[in-house]
Amino acid sequence: MSNNYFNTLPLREQLAQLAKCRFMTMDEFADGVSALKGKKMVVIGCGAQGLNQGLNLRDSGLDVSYALRAAAITEQRQSWKNASENGFTVGTYEELIPTADVVLNLTPDKQHTAVVNAIMPMMKEGACLSYSHGFNIVEEGMQVRDDLTVIMVAPKCPGSEVRAEYVRGFGVPTLIAVHEDNDPKGEGLALAKAYAVGTGGHKAGVLMSSFIAEVKSDLMGEQTILCGMLQTGSLLCFDKMLAEGVDAGYASKLIQYGWETITEALKYGGVTNMLDRLSNPAKIKAFDLSEELKTIMRPLYNKHQDDIMNGTFSRVMMEDWANDDKNLLGWRAETAETAFEKTPAGDVEIAEQEYFDNGILMVAMVKAGVELAFETMTAAGIIDESAYYESLHETPLIANTIARKKLYEMNATISDTAEYGCYLYNHACLPLLGEFMQNIKTDVIGRGLELDDTGVDNARLIEVNAALRAHPVEAIGATLRGHMADMKKIV
Amino acid sequence: MTIFLDNLSVDFDEHFQLHNLNWEIKETQHWVITGTNGAGKSALFAALMGAGKHLSGQIRDLPERIGVVSFAAQEELINQERKKDDADIMDVISEGTPVRNIIFDDCLDPHTAQQLIARFDLNYLLERAFRQLSTGESRKVMIIRALSCKPQLLLLDEPFDGLDVDTLALLQAHLQELVAQVPMIMILNRFDEIPAFTTHIAYMEYGQILHQIDTQDAEAYDSLYQLLHLKTTDLSVPECDADTAIPKLDQAQPLVKLNNLTIKYNEFVLIDKLNWTIEPNQHWQLSGPNGSGKTAILSIITGDHPQCYSNDILVFGFQRGKGESIWQIKQFIGYVSTALQWEYRVQISLRNVIISGFYDSIGLYTKATDRQKIIADQWLALLGMSARADQPFQKLSYGDQRLLLIARAMVKHPPLLILDEPCLGLDDINRQLVLALIEKICAGSETSVIYVNHHPEDKIAGIDNYLALHKSTP
Repeated sequence: MSNNYFNTLPLREQLAQLAKCRFMTMDEFADGVSALKGKKMVVIGCGAQGLNQGLNLRDSGLDVSYALRAAAITEQRQSWKNASENGFTVGTYEELIPTADVVLNLTPDKQHTAVVNAIMPMMKEGACLSYSHGFNIVEEGMQVRDDLTVIMVAPKCPGSEVRAEYVRGFGVPTLIAVHEDNDPKGEGLALAKAYAVGTGGHKAGVLMSSFIAEVKSDLMGEQTILCGMLQTGSLLCFDKMLAEGVDAGYASKLIQYGWETITEALKYGGVTNMLDRLSNPAKIKAFDLSEELKTIMRPLYNKHQDDIMNGTFSRVMMEDWANDDKNLLGWRAETAETAFEKTPAGDVEIAEQEYFDNGILMVAMVKAGVELAFETMTAAGIIDESAYYESLHETPLIANTIARKKLYEMNATISDTAEYGCYLYNHACLPLLGEFMQNIKTDVIGRGLELDDTGVDNARLIEVNAALRAHPVEAIGATLRGHMADMKKIV
Repeated sequence: MTIFLDNLSVDFDEHFQLHNLNWEIKETQHWVITGTNGAGKSALFAALMGAGKHLSGQIRDLPERIGVVSFAAQEELINQERKKDDADIMDVISEGTPVRNIIFDDCLDPHTAQQLIARFDLNYLLERAFRQLSTGESRKVMIIRALSCKPQLLLLDEPFDGLDVDTLALLQAHLQELVAQVPMIMILNRFDEIPAFTTHIAYMEYGQILHQIDTQDAEAYDSLYQLLHLKTTDLSVPECDADTAIPKLDQAQPLVKLNNLTIKYNEFVLIDKLNWTIEPNQHWQLSGPNGSGKTAILSIITGDHPQCYSNDILVFGFQRGKGESIWQIKQFIGYVSTALQWEYRVQISLRNVIISGFYDSIGLYTKATDRQKIIADQWLALLGMSARADQPFQKLSYGDQRLLLIARAMVKHPPLLILDEPCLGLDDINRQLVLALIEKICAGSETSVIYVNHHPEDKIAGIDNYLALHKSTP
C-alpha cells in the first residue's frame, strides 16, 4: 500500500507547500522552448491530453514521440492510431524510454503507479519525468529515482481546448510545479517553463505552484463546486420543477443549458456580475438563498477538505480502485438512471436572460458553491490564486460539458478522481438539502418571480451589493482576470 | 407609367456598347446609377434620349417630356450657341442668346422657372448671353430648364457637380419637393450625395447593369457602397510594418518545394507522390474537384496538417521537422479560406482582426503597437470600413468578414498569399468586392499568390501557373 507523501511532511512544510501559487509574468518566459530544444520528449498515453499536448510541442519545434504498451501497438488500438496517423514516431516503452530526455506521463491517475514503476528503471540517468497531476506523488507517495528531475505541467483545460487555443495562436492557463525532492540539477523550473511555452500556455497565463497545492486544491474544487454541486443542483432543481408541474422538456433544457449560460456571466465578471444579471428583487432572493445554502452546506465542504488534507479521500478511493471500481461504476450507472438524465431537453426557445430569471436557485447554488469552496480552501492554507482557479475559474468549463450531454458528458470528461469525489459529494448533499428544498417553489426555479412591482428597499440592495463585492474571491478574481485584460479572450 | 428596358443593346462610338439592359422604372421610384468611370452610365442616358445605334431589344413607355441635366446636354447647348455665332453673316459681334430666352422660350412651366430663378438668385444674369456664363452659372440655367418643362421623367447626370454649397442645398430641397410628382434617375458617383428619397440604386460596369438594389436593403447598400469605394478609391495597399517585418528570404530559393508529397488516411491515399515547386513571384492557380486534396496540400504548406512532419517539404528555407516552429513558417504566409472564417469565432473589433494578421493568430493576444494600429486603420480606409473600426467582427456581413480576413492576411505583406476559394459562399456583389480587393493587392505588392478554385477554366488575370488535381478514389 502506498504512503501519503503529504502526511510525512511537518506542518510548517505542509503549509509552505500549500501556500505556493504565483501568477508568472510574461518576461519569465523569454527563453522560450530553448531548455527543451534538441531534447527527446517521449509521451506516454495518447488520449486527448497526450495527443494534443504532443501536437503543440511538435509545432513549437520540439522532438516528440509516443511510447505505448506493446499490446496497444500490435492490436493497433486507438492510442496507436492517434499517434501514428499524426505522423509521430511510435514505439514500445523498451524502445523509446531509454532514449528519452523528458518523459511526459499523460496517463490517467489510476495508471500512474504502474506506469512509473515500469518506466523508471529504463529511464536515462538525469532525465526528467513530467506529470500533469500530482496525485501519484502527493497522495500515493511515489518515490522517484534521486537522479531524475520531476516536474508538473498541467494545462487547466480539456485536451481538445489545449490544441484549439494553440492553433489560434493562444494557449490555455497552465499550472507548473517542480517536485523539490527531485530536482537534482536545479533545472526543473527551466524545463517546466519551456514545456509551458511549447504548449502555448505562457500566452494565457502560468501559475507557479507546488505538487501539494495543486493536488489539494484540485481535488477540493472538482468534488465540491465544480462537479458535485452542479450534479446535485441539477437533480434537485429538476425534480422540484417536475413536482411543481413545470414541463419536463423545459425543465431539462433550463438546467442543461442554464449552468453554462449563468456561469458565462461568472467567467467574465465573477459572482458579482452573475448576480447583476438578475433583477433587483431576484438578486436579493438569490443572495438570501445562497446564504441559507452556505450555512447548510458549510460542514460538508469542511468535511471534504478535511478528508482531502488528511488523505482519507484518496485512501478510500484507492480502495475502490483495488476493488475494480465497484463503487465508481455503480454510482455512474445510478446517475444514468436519474430523471434529469433520462429526460431530453425540450424543443423550446429559452432566451439568454430567461436562464437567469427562471434559474434564481441555480444562480444561488453556484454562488454558494464557489464561495464555500474558496473559503474552505483558503481556510485550509491554500492561497487565493489556487483557490480561485480551482473554484470560480473552472466552473464554466465544467458547465460546458453538461450543456453538451448532461451529467454523462461531465462525468466522462472529468478524471476518475473527480468523478469519484463528485458522487461522494452528491450522496451527502442530496439529503442535506432535503428540508431546504421543501420550501422551494417555482418562483426561484422554473417560472421566475411574479412581481407587479420590481421595487426593492434601497438599504437592503446596498447591503447585498456590498456583500457580493466584498467577498475575497472577487478581489483575486478581478486581479487574475485583469492579467488578461489586454488579451481578448476566446468565446 | 412604368418605363421598361427589355434586353436593350446599343452600340456607341469608340467601341462601346450597352449590353442587354433589363430595367423597370416605376412612377414612384427614384433611381441612382453608380459605377466606375467608363461603366456606361452616361451612355445609358444617351440611349434613353435616343442616341447610339440600336442593336436589339427595346425601350417601352418612355414619357414624352424628359428633363435632362448633364454636362453633355450643357455642352450641346453651348455648341448650338457657338454655331449661331458662326452662322451670323453680318460683321457684328453676336452677343448670343440671353439667358432669359434660353429659359423662357418654349418653357411649359414659367411659374416654376420664375420661382427657381428667385431661389437661385439668378435675376442678375437674365439678360446676359448664355455662352458667357461660368460653368456653374450655366449649370444652374440647365437645371432650371430641366425642371420647368413639366417633366414626366428627370434624368440628372451628376446634377450636384460644380454647384456651390448653398445652391446644392437649394437644389436638393427642390428635388425633395418633386418626389411625389416625377420619377428621377440620377447618376451619382459619391454615395454621400445620394438623396434620402432615393428608392433604388443600380450599379453599372462594362456597359451592363450588374446590380439593382432597394435602398431599404441595408446590407446590399453597404456592399455596393464598398464596391464603388474600392473601385474608385485612390488609396492603395498600405505599407507593411517595418518594426515587425518578415525576415528576408533568399530569392534564389523556392518558396515551397514538395517532394513526392503523399497524404494518406489509414489505407486511403489522398495525394500520391506529388511534386510541386513554387518560386518567388510566381502566381499559381490550384484547381480540382471536391475531395481532390486541394485544402490538404495547402495545410501541408501552412503546417496545419500533421503529415507535414512525415513528408519531404521545404518551405521558406525550412526543411520541415528539423526543429522549426509552426510560427516561423506561418509568418511568411497570408491565408484566407471559408474554414478560417468559420474558425474566426472570437469577440474582437474590426481593427483588431486586421492587427491579428501581424501575429498569425485568431483573436489578438498581444498588445498592438501604435504603428500597427495606424496600418490597420489604413486598411480599413481602403476597405471603406473606417467608421466601423471598433465594431464587433461577428456583427459584420459574411462578405465583409471575408474582405477583412483578406486584409488580415495581407497586412504583413507575406511572400505567399493563399486564397482558398476566396469567393465561396459570396453573392455577386461580394464576389466582385473580393476580386476587386485581390486585384488591388496583386497590383501593389511582391506577394506570390496561390488561388484555389474548383473550375480550371475560372482563371484570374496575372496567374500563369496551373496545378490541376484529380479526384482520388478510395
